[in-house]
Amino acid sequence: PGPGPGPGPGPGPGSGSGSGSRPRPGPGPVPGPGWGSTPGPGSVSGRGPGAAAGNGNWDRRRNAPPGVDPEAFSWFQTVDTDHSGFISVKELKQALVNNNWSSFNDETCLLMINMFDKTRSGRIDVYGFSALLRFIQQWRSLFQQYDRDQSGSISFTELQQAFSQMGYNLSPQFSQLLLARYAQRSPNPSIQLDRFIHICMQLQSLTDAFREKDTAMVGNVRLGYEDFLTMVVTRML
Amino acid sequence: GAPGALPDPSFLWSVFQRVDKDRSGIICDNELQQALSNGTWTPFNPATVRSILGMFDRENKGGVNFNEFTGVWKYITDWQNVFRTYDRDNSGMIDKNELKQALTGFGYRLSDQFYDILIRKFDRQGKGQVAFDDFIQCCVVLQRLTDVFRRYDTDQDGWIQVSYEQYLSMVFSIV
Repeated sequence: PGPGPGPGPGPGPGSGSGSGSRPRPGPGPVPGPGWGSTPGPGSVSGRGPGAAAGNGNWDRRRNAPPGVDPEAFSWFQTVDTDHSGFISVKELKQALVNNNWSSFNDETCLLMINMFDKTRSGRIDVYGFSALLRFIQQWRSLFQQYDRDQSGSISFTELQQAFSQMGYNLSPQFSQLLLARYAQRSPNPSIQLDRFIHICMQLQSLTDAFREKDTAMVGNVRLGYEDFLTMVVTRML
Repeated sequence: GAPGALPDPSFLWSVFQRVDKDRSGIICDNELQQALSNGTWTPFNPATVRSILGMFDRENKGGVNFNEFTGVWKYITDWQNVFRTYDRDNSGMIDKNELKQALTGFGYRLSDQFYDILIRKFDRQGKGQVAFDDFIQCCVVLQRLTDVFRRYDTDQDGWIQVSYEQYLSMVFSIV
């Protein structure tokens, strides 16, 4: 319904010229929820009440909880540096590494937390962490298969082959686009495990969404503005 | 000072130092998250933190230096203003009606059902309303999606015809 998309200027001011989109000029400042120095819980370490109770506090002398691999349990305890019983994005970053020993990037860590965090609190418990480790291990094996020359990262050719084997029919230009966006800058751009996981998960989700609309399977769809918004928002990882 | 003007640099510097807990000279996701309040007892939405830092980190270093931080400060402070304007009942949360007013005020024309989708997707508190951090994230995502849609909607009729790969490129450019 309605003629066109709203101009949606958005109040985002400033001129961030980072890799994200550019916010637009906005109104002047006034206090409110925002900086932690204003009355509010912002300066609290964000653990919230009840973190020490419930399944948060695992005694190191205890065995792994039922259904949790003992190795995953012991790793959890090491990674949960503040012993809150939960792992945050920051702690997860220290646990997950690429084949070149770099930490997983923030976006992928966030994606992982969102996937395995049932409470939408931005952190995961030992069950979520255990499931996450299994998930990453599966991706790591897949990654190693596609990394034909065992360089530790996936090159343009390897990426193309990976997509093809996964059943995607994507052009070389598209692979180039992904490399430009996700690879480290170098004469031979290639993709690390963290970004590979991110790409594949997005690809899967977006392809499912497209297929739902392209019932005639012509590879082309006509989308209204709100259709497009809905498709992306509902499937956002 | 005048509305929209930046505060005294020494004030901003003192804020920066307070937020930069490890004194690395860079404010990272974790530090910014701890400095911000969403008005509840839960940590500030890490996705919102990432969105904000991504906008102002010009060197892809995973955080912002002092210069970039002045932009972050203004950005967040301006959002506080907007949030307060639309949180008409001063509940500290924006409900569906207030969200409608806010987005309509920004120029969006969206259906009632879509607002239900937005709240369902962005409300992390599970109260059917959006807190400050989730409100920012919602608006940022909506703006990015609208921008990319507009680029493809050359005749501005609210419809686009796209191939599979075009669709992928559209969304990959903003996630």
